[in-house]
Amino acid sequence: MSSTASSVPDFDAVEAQVKEALRRCSPSTIEAALQYRRANDFSRLPLVIFGIVERYVDPALRPQLAAAGVDDLRVVEDLGLDSLTIMEIVMLVEEVALVTISNNDLRELRTLGDIKVFVDCRARGVEPPKPPKRFDSEAILAVMPIQPPFLFLDDACVSPTQATATYRITGEEPFLKGHFKGNPIMPASLMLEALGQLGVFHLLNGLVSEPGKRVDPGSIFFASTDGVRCSRICRPGDVLALTLKPKRIKAPLVTFEGYIRVEKEKAVSVEEITLTFGLVDDVVPSEPEALPIKSPPTSAT
Amino acid sequence: MSRVFITGLGFITSIGNDSVAVESSLREFRHGFVSYEPFQKANIPVKVLAPVRDFSTTSVDPEDWTIPAPYVVKREVLRSMGPNALYAMCAMQQAVADARLQPEDVSNDDTGLYAASAGSPAIMARYLNRLHEQGPMRCHPLSVVACIAGSVQFNLVAGFKIKGASTGFSSACASSAHALGFAHDEIKLGRQKRMFVVGAEDGDADTILPFASMRALSLNPDPATASRPFDKNRDGFVGTGGGTVLVLESEEEVLRRGVTPYAEVLGWGQASDGHNVAISHPEGLGLANAMRRALAAAGLAPGQIDYVNAHATSTPIGDASECHALRAVFGDYAARVAVSSTKALTGHGLSLAGAMETGFCALALRHGFMPGSAHITELDPACAGLNILRATESVAPGLVLNNSSGFGGANVCVALGRAG
Repeated sequence: MSSTASSVPDFDAVEAQVKEALRRCSPSTIEAALQYRRANDFSRLPLVIFGIVERYVDPALRPQLAAAGVDDLRVVEDLGLDSLTIMEIVMLVEEVALVTISNNDLRELRTLGDIKVFVDCRARGVEPPKPPKRFDSEAILAVMPIQPPFLFLDDACVSPTQATATYRITGEEPFLKGHFKGNPIMPASLMLEALGQLGVFHLLNGLVSEPGKRVDPGSIFFASTDGVRCSRICRPGDVLALTLKPKRIKAPLVTFEGYIRVEKEKAVSVEEITLTFGLVDDVVPSEPEALPIKSPPTSAT
Repeated sequence: MSRVFITGLGFITSIGNDSVAVESSLREFRHGFVSYEPFQKANIPVKVLAPVRDFSTTSVDPEDWTIPAPYVVKREVLRSMGPNALYAMCAMQQAVADARLQPEDVSNDDTGLYAASAGSPAIMARYLNRLHEQGPMRCHPLSVVACIAGSVQFNLVAGFKIKGASTGFSSACASSAHALGFAHDEIKLGRQKRMFVVGAEDGDADTILPFASMRALSLNPDPATASRPFDKNRDGFVGTGGGTVLVLESEEEVLRRGVTPYAEVLGWGQASDGHNVAISHPEGLGLANAMRRALAAAGLAPGQIDYVNAHATSTPIGDASECHALRAVFGDYAARVAVSSTKALTGHGLSLAGAMETGFCALALRHGFMPGSAHITELDPACAGLNILRATESVAPGLVLNNSSGFGGANVCVALGRAG
């Protein structure tokens, strides 16, 4: 009877290689990496990625990583990592987690959360979630029931779990002449309005799906809001970065939480903003009617 | 046509990491040679090298390097640098402070940077080995920037936000002299108001040992006598590395900023031997022509020159060629013009040599001395008819020539004068 000797991987060599690769990371990162490699423990991966990112973040910016909402931290804007540093991070992640990340994949990884989700899916051999869809101002104008001069979305990005957008306060907005006189400041109510409009956009781009039905643009209205805090005065030239995440969806209501940042500062945070919406039949465009064939004129002789 | 002045110096060398230390080493004949630890192997017949002091750049990982105060270099900057670019960056910080330049003087459309370095052979070797063993995607994305020639200007132009003219020069041991000549032209022709001239080399085993098998390196194991240009028993050059930065400015800038220059760059000349890839022309044909062209460009007669900083590296053939060239150019005056090679104290810095030795000439012109040619026990008869200085003279030179020659027979001569 032949026995198949099970091949026990030489873990000492793996351990040495992982410790060497991660030698400038925290001990907890190294431990998590070893647990992952030893036992295929995927739950350790987010810690490994966090530890690798932390190692490359400028010591002055590291405190950001200790704050809440870490997954939303944008690697470029918030953590100050340039594209070359992101390549360094990706290389180390590839080496330690044994995954491959292509250039296309790389482009879509904007936040710490994006990286964690992506690497986790890759490691499990699962298809990573589709990258969020991006929309420019033309695409937004085409679908929104709200239009200039009352539209506060310049570009947007939508995924199943959140929507983001930007709006640059130009200074030409008509209401700024009066708010305040001689001191143009974006009204807080309109910053809340912008978040609501992003919610409208999200509703019109797949947030709610029911077979044979779509959200009716003419049916979306503001219902309520709670827990609104404003912490920054926003002026012409500021670019508002809006983020909105659905909390509860139960037709005809959808409740979001969201916030607005300008560069790295938080300007507005909203615990809840609720919109109502209605659905209509998704009308499939019918075949164009066949044109009647005119009988050729008979020549009268 | 604008006049061109040297207004700032920065040195990271085997004989000192600032002007004060360098000048005192030149005056007092303090050399930078040691019995170099990486050479103490049975199959390496070369034993001596002049290393840069206080920096340690041997580790594969730049984050483990030792960089002495007051220099601080962030990881994001270090990751694309070899030792030569690091030395150059520190020398540039020194030179900017020495010239009392503000950030807006450094970063503007009219300020450029010309550099010279062979790149980093050590990093190139490690990088290619890793590429072949583990595949190209496992190599650091910026290693290529750290190892190829041009690395110095890639890093310094980015690091100092240089917006004017920038490029690198590749003429082996004449490289930074070429950089200086062309930088001078940028200002003279009114294309730039200020130019940084940078020479740098790693100066480690991987940079120097490739010269061993062509028998160009001294096999003398005694650090005190191995490098001895013009000595009868010289047997080859001794290597060194480091970085030197010269700040060149137009006359208008000098007046506007109210600074006192070290020296004026009066003109330069270049000519080639057309002879051999590695051996200089026996009569120093190209070097003689380079010197004549420099004199003509500066509007000077040979008899007006007080001192020549020779290229002379301590090789039997090279030093002799230069002696021929000097006699041919100076004629009857050859017995009076003072000549020395400072490579007797520093070693040969390859791409670094031209800029470094012009820096020494600038110090000599400003502070009134002529460096001697050290380590000569018995003068080579080939030097007959020449005035090789055996000791440093505290006599202020007024007009100086600096020679540099490189592989393929490239020769550059720069004419310098006392400022003001």
